[in-house]
Amino acid sequence: MLQAYLYIAKMKLLTNLTYRFEWLTSIFTNLILMLASVFIWQAAYRGGGGAGEALSVDDMVTYSILSSTLGALFVCNVQDTIYVKMREGQIATDLYRPLPLLGGYLADDIGGMLSSILNNAIPLFLFAALFFGFPGPADPLSLALFIPSCLLSYGILWLLSALVGMVAFWVMELGNMGMVKDVILRVLSGAFVPIWFFPGPVQTVSAFLPFQYTYQTPLGIYIGRVGTYEALGDMAVQAVWIALLALLLAAVWRRAKTKTLIQGG
Amino acid sequence: MNAVIEVKDLVKEYMIAKKGRGLRGSIRSLLMPKKTKVCAVDGISFSIAAGEIVGYIGPNGAGKSTTIKMLTGILHPTSGSVRVCGISPQEDRKAVVGKLGVVFGQRTQLYWDLRLGESFELLRRIYQIDKAAYEASLAVLSDVLKLDEFIDTPVRQLSLGQRMRGDLAAAMLHEPSVLFLDEPTIGLDADAKHAIRGFIKEMNRERGLTVILTTHDLDDVEQLCSRLVVVNHGRVVEDGPIDAIIAKLTPHRLLVAELERPCEDLDLDHPAATIVRQEGLKVWYQFEKSRITAAELIADLSGKLPIRDLSVKEPDIEDAIREVYKTT
Repeated sequence: MLQAYLYIAKMKLLTNLTYRFEWLTSIFTNLILMLASVFIWQAAYRGGGGAGEALSVDDMVTYSILSSTLGALFVCNVQDTIYVKMREGQIATDLYRPLPLLGGYLADDIGGMLSSILNNAIPLFLFAALFFGFPGPADPLSLALFIPSCLLSYGILWLLSALVGMVAFWVMELGNMGMVKDVILRVLSGAFVPIWFFPGPVQTVSAFLPFQYTYQTPLGIYIGRVGTYEALGDMAVQAVWIALLALLLAAVWRRAKTKTLIQGG
Repeated sequence: MNAVIEVKDLVKEYMIAKKGRGLRGSIRSLLMPKKTKVCAVDGISFSIAAGEIVGYIGPNGAGKSTTIKMLTGILHPTSGSVRVCGISPQEDRKAVVGKLGVVFGQRTQLYWDLRLGESFELLRRIYQIDKAAYEASLAVLSDVLKLDEFIDTPVRQLSLGQRMRGDLAAAMLHEPSVLFLDEPTIGLDADAKHAIRGFIKEMNRERGLTVILTTHDLDDVEQLCSRLVVVNHGRVVEDGPIDAIIAKLTPHRLLVAELERPCEDLDLDHPAATIVRQEGLKVWYQFEKSRITAAELIADLSGKLPIRDLSVKEPDIEDAIREVYKTT
């Protein structure tokens, strides 16, 4: 079974490496997004707003660069995969195999993530280092905590994506639902604007939602905004969210299986 | 003979939201969708023995695909039971799909961007086939399907015929005991069709493979199947050997006689046959096998008519099927 998952990941990696043009365009768009967010923050800090009290401009630039890199790295295609496969009835061919469907899609996304490291994350990080200086971690311990925290982040992101994708088993037109989730995630994850800059009540509500634990948590650890104990606490919250979302996904999947409607044929 | 597939009183109902017409209708169905119950499969029963090749046919929307989906465990029946190799696909889908091969003519399970061999390697790991068994299985399949020519080509560059051969091989790698084929020859040229039919026959003969074939191509049915299960409106309307179904549904045969000269002054009629068509010098007689033999009719007619040429047409599967669809 593990061998099958590994092979799926490998095939995804191979597939992604065959599309060189797509790779170049994706680096290019990611680079533009990264530059834009860094420039916006630099401008904001020059304006002398209250932002400086929460974070220094250098920390903010590091935060933005890392955030763009993680954005390129965290491949969660599962939502679209389920949606497209349901729409076209292709999901049937996956269901005919004695391999758990979601496990297969996770392996596929992990393959995508591996190719993204080569294709996207490394070039992006190098570009950023050239433009703005090397965006290093606050200290070695931060880096050591950052990496497992990123893995937990990916778990949350993937489970959210799979849950939204599952909706396609009931509603064929998933389009909006996926978009709504993506927008909420973009705002409330702190991927662009950290939640620290939001009004107090929003911060309080956000603390009880899974979103800020996807980007803000590992990034805060990296730039040293949170101390070691706080970081471990945040990672525990991440783990709790993973457990909750995984249970929810398992329950939804159990119901989806008896509900399967395959288009066409 | 032991039954590989047993289907009893299978029913599948869907709730389908009816969309209203026009803007007003769309808004209404958005706010309060009107749902109607559709019975796609309405009490189907049959059983298939090991080593049979069965044509499962019916017009579009007859409930064929729905039945197949329940047999393979991806749909749950509303009521009734399904057993594949003695196991319920709904209760233990994994165990059942390990014994099944499925090929859709209109879909592929191969990885579009990678060489064909990669898809096979993945399947080897998914079905946990050990290396030696895989090599042996692939060698046999390559031999029959001539996979060597294109096993290193990316799937997207394959012709439809090659892709279909690839899909068949992919479905057979784990040596399933049952193969479901859904329109396997759709869109293929005569050569490719021939190759695929040959492969199915060979696997049936060599491995005792049980095959269930849904198709609209009646040549497939005639060349492959010994038995037909015909469904319409979610029910089995015919189940039996092909010859028996043809004989039962189309008792008529045709005799086409071509005369030597125009026939204004001739008495063409025969008491045991009816003239169904007349065109120039040609006359079509329809007669029933049970009332008169072809030989007798020919003897009678050539006794009184100047006949240049004669031919007898047997009703074929197509006539029979059209008859089924018409009457049910």
